[in-house]
Amino acid sequence: MADPKITHTEVLSLTQRGGHIFQLIVKAPPGDWTDPGVFAKLRAWAEAPYVYPLLDRPISVHRFSKNGPERTLEFLIREIGPGTSFLAKLKPTDKLKITGPLGRGLLSLAPDILSQPLYLVAGGIGLAPMACVLELKPPKPLLFYGERSGCFQIDRDYLASFAPDFMASTEDGRGYGQKGLVTGLVRKALEVEKRTILACGPRGMLAALAPLARKFGVRLYVSGEAFFGCGLGVCLSCSLPLSDKTRFRLCQEGPVIDGLKVDWDKR
Amino acid sequence: MSADLKVKLGPLTLKNPVIAASGVFGYGLELAAFCPPENLGAVILKGVGAEPWPGNSGPRLVEAAGGLVNAVGLENMGVESLIKKVLAPLKKRGGVIVGANLIGHSLEEYLAVAKKLAETEVDFFELNVSCPNLSQGGAAFGSDPELTARLTEKTVRLARGKPVVVKLPPLVTDITEVAKKVQEAGATAVSLINSLPALVIDAKTRRAALGNITGGLSGPPIKPLALRQVWLCARAVSIPVIGIGGIMTAADAAEFIIAGASAVQLGTAILADPRTPLAVIEELETYFKEENIHSVGDLKGTIKGPWE
Repeated sequence: MADPKITHTEVLSLTQRGGHIFQLIVKAPPGDWTDPGVFAKLRAWAEAPYVYPLLDRPISVHRFSKNGPERTLEFLIREIGPGTSFLAKLKPTDKLKITGPLGRGLLSLAPDILSQPLYLVAGGIGLAPMACVLELKPPKPLLFYGERSGCFQIDRDYLASFAPDFMASTEDGRGYGQKGLVTGLVRKALEVEKRTILACGPRGMLAALAPLARKFGVRLYVSGEAFFGCGLGVCLSCSLPLSDKTRFRLCQEGPVIDGLKVDWDKR
Repeated sequence: MSADLKVKLGPLTLKNPVIAASGVFGYGLELAAFCPPENLGAVILKGVGAEPWPGNSGPRLVEAAGGLVNAVGLENMGVESLIKKVLAPLKKRGGVIVGANLIGHSLEEYLAVAKKLAETEVDFFELNVSCPNLSQGGAAFGSDPELTARLTEKTVRLARGKPVVVKLPPLVTDITEVAKKVQEAGATAVSLINSLPALVIDAKTRRAALGNITGGLSGPPIKPLALRQVWLCARAVSIPVIGIGGIMTAADAAEFIIAGASAVQLGTAILADPRTPLAVIEELETYFKEENIHSVGDLKGTIKGPWE
């Protein structure tokens, strides 16, 4: 794992990209931010004495770019509570506390992964790290993007700007794409062509993908979701049960993990 | 004249009164890059049982009322692994004072841990008889003063001279009774308070936030309650009282010392930022200088009434 640092960085831009979704671009602090799934803790509100909200917010890297000496880091943030509301109000030149890079990404778990055609499955803001994966140019990637409602969807044009080939779904049938669960789209695709799955999204979606992957005999890598207290491996709030009865700290040994090793029936 | 932050814990001298509480500092090394454990008065390791514990089902942590409610359920690696994997690299750094937080479902389980750790480089024990997230052991144990005293006495006998701190539960009829009982039983110090039993519900979904339904509230919202308990205990016993509860700044730490604490533990503050203990130590030094306080003893128990 990369050596995380706590620093302050500068906001370069904040752009709304859909229903309650914001793209935040900051100057990249030192560290290797390239592995998809790596995350940072962000704080754009009062530090000591750490009043409400108390904890920094763990946000996965959306994209890392290097143009000459200028390194930028992008986050895709869903405004969903008090912490993310502060993040969604940032302006250029604002300062932001950032801790990272944190966690183990996809490539550290499966270095050979990008040599094959993949199904990328994103639920909600689980879309964020998929841009990182696509930047690494796997062959023929197909992205499935599901939302609960059309009102949460990311702007279609913005999605198309980093995902050339995607299928969308919403549970309420509003917005673009088809009505239904994203896992339904994945099932249909697997019936036509088997591919390794990379998924990021809510627990229910990840849990539903595991039996699909087993049925079709494909590998499943997931970037998991849990409440992260410290993001540094001490509070054990993100500890996830594995099928071998051991537990796994999503913030340290993850967030990317072999989805078939997780005991999805337990919490 | 420079401020002297040193404090005594039985035969041990802590270089300052700021201790990392159990459960927020892992097994001592996870946060070392941000907060070197040797710079603190002491570090208390994640609670450890005779065997590994899986802990509670998630979700395990939620923010509420400006603090945190947790129900981790004391997931831990067990005492054997702790001895094999944790102690040597931590002690090798030099100058780290290590407290082990002992947990159990029964008297026998606590004592099994104490017996094993007595032979090791652990510097002191903290008996956790106050975890709110266990149906047996934890607070269920600590709310019985007789049982807690018996555990203390037996642990002291096994401890080979290592200090034994007893971490008291906050919700008992009279916390000073428990404090007095464990003092009689030979405890070196008492630490208080542990988190308070709490419940968080989402009105829209009607779901409890935590897998365990209830959890323990910690952080700034419990500070005034903790200060009172520390004040009460410090007047009731002669052994040192270690104050815990929502300490985020040096001023918070000073308030606990003024209430009668000899040292303090930081918990939730370390989850907010792992460097907080270092900031508290530095600011405490400044406060001592500015207020012309020469030692922790000078400040301890100096609470005044608002009319004074």
